Amino acid sequence: MPYRVLDHTADTGIEANAESPETLIRELAKGMFGILSPVDPCNVDRWVEVKVEASSLEDLVVDTLSELLYESEVEDLLFCDFHVTMAKGGRALTLAAGGVPVHSVEPSGPPIKAVTYHGLVVEQRETGWYGRVYFDV
Amino acid sequence: MSDVIWELPAQEGMAVPGRIFASEALMELVLLEHASEQVANVAHLPGIKEASFAMPDIHWGYGFPIGGVAATAVDEGGVVSPGGVGFDICCGVRLLSSSFTEADFERRRESVMARLDRRIPRGVGKGSIADRRLLPDVLRRGAVAVVEAGYGSDRDLERCEENGMSIGADPSAMSDHAVARGSDQLGSLGAGNHFLEVQIVDQIVDGPAAAVFGLSEGMLVVMLHCGSRGLGHQTCTDQLKLMGPAMARHGITVPDRQLACVPVRSPEGEEYLGAMAASANFAWANRHVLAHAVREAFAGAFDLTVQDTGMDLVYDVAHNLAKIETHLVDGSPVELCVHRKGATRAFGPGHPDLPEDLRPVGQPVLLPGTMGTASWVLRGVAHNPAFDSAAHGAGRVMSRKRAKRQEQGSQVRDRLEARGISVRPRSVGLLSEEAPYAYKDVDEVAEVCSRAGLAAKVARLRPVGVVKG
Repeated sequence: MPYRVLDHTADTGIEANAESPETLIRELAKGMFGILSPVDPCNVDRWVEVKVEASSLEDLVVDTLSELLYESEVEDLLFCDFHVTMAKGGRALTLAAGGVPVHSVEPSGPPIKAVTYHGLVVEQRETGWYGRVYFDV
Repeated sequence: MSDVIWELPAQEGMAVPGRIFASEALMELVLLEHASEQVANVAHLPGIKEASFAMPDIHWGYGFPIGGVAATAVDEGGVVSPGGVGFDICCGVRLLSSSFTEADFERRRESVMARLDRRIPRGVGKGSIADRRLLPDVLRRGAVAVVEAGYGSDRDLERCEENGMSIGADPSAMSDHAVARGSDQLGSLGAGNHFLEVQIVDQIVDGPAAAVFGLSEGMLVVMLHCGSRGLGHQTCTDQLKLMGPAMARHGITVPDRQLACVPVRSPEGEEYLGAMAASANFAWANRHVLAHAVREAFAGAFDLTVQDTGMDLVYDVAHNLAKIETHLVDGSPVELCVHRKGATRAFGPGHPDLPEDLRPVGQPVLLPGTMGTASWVLRGVAHNPAFDSAAHGAGRVMSRKRAKRQEQGSQVRDRLEARGISVRPRSVGLLSEEAPYAYKDVDEVAEVCSRAGLAAKVARLRPVGVVKG
């Protein structure tokens, strides 16, 4: 199920439901960059790979999204395609992110400064996996 | 407590009460969202003194409310919290005076705006004015490093908070990621609510103070708002990650993970303050370099030298910092770590940290409004009730999503242009997120600052040109 953008007076958030932690992280990543500008179709210009380990799934989500923000800024890429492979019982992952040059896209929302822990939810529910993340913009 | 001071009594877990400075109308807006809950959460911080304060422009943030002030006693286990500073470390506002009038601007409006449009890097992605090789020196010495490299003058430094150089900077406490993000951003505005505005001094309320600040009615001034860019964002991200486990080691619990904190007097606390000061140095230098580009743009448009533009620095003040300051608590001087998250330092007359010429009237407090209304210059006053702090802007009242639904960016631009405000956005579509209707009434925020004894009005500024990300 696609991500949804959440209202926040100063900043912005997203929530998503997914079948697995992998697809949840993919949706949240797609949402984070989709706030700036949804790229459709996503004709990837370049790929980067990030490897992240954390002590909990919540932290893994925050650390992964933060790492993607870093890569986006230094590589000047707006990511739109994500492939996630989990390891170590959901405490580590490898993520391949494909993107297009930032300047090739007209922004439709504010760039994200950072991923916050405020109101963070990552949990398994009866219907699948749910995640909610707020960003500083 | 009075018609502009509201108290949230200390309840379970709160070490002190919450205290919100607001008129009845502004308080109604506070109660519509979760901001008062965030004021209460901040009151849980170990070592917090007197109250968890909220300035008149308070609104919902993450962890701390925007407009939050919290002071913790350094020698009583008081903590420092990166969330009390925010991701945009040392975000702040700078105001330049000039020798120009509105009539001068009208003669060269297009040339000035076109030059600013070309000269000011902004929006998403890379783009900077200054050479990346300056970065190591900038992290250690802030604006001092860029003045020596030819951007601005020594006189500018006297008109910067902390003289443009935060003491205790420790670049070694910053990650490679942070340095990499800052390498191509020294001298860039960013996006979101950051801006550069050409304004006219519309009204002088306090003549003697305005004269000391170098402002007179009808004068063209330039205000810019930005911070430490990706370098600061990354530093806060890195430090928050480290503080989770550190907090457990120190036996600290907080009601919101974004309030993660450690004792000021701890290795982790000192590391954060060192990294924060280095990021602040980037922000002071960033605004300094941008201001130099503004001077060059005006000099070019009017065929003058930079010196002949008369574009002197009125003041540069941060509104996202934690600082070690001494204040009276129960009548005794106490060393405090004062967090100002969306709040401006506001030293009153006679404060020893002010330059000699400003000391008789107090520190300039810069209160940016919106691109369609006004901004204010206030001054610090004696007996400030919130550890020498005041508001930092108008304060949002509407989410970006709702603001975009109300009008398109092109409609916002056309409306402003029709009112004689030239708009040069990097992205027209994003203008509606920052539309005047998305913010509170800045005149009322300034009025509450004045009535609550936070700061006194000096001059009102109205925009005639806007450069946005």
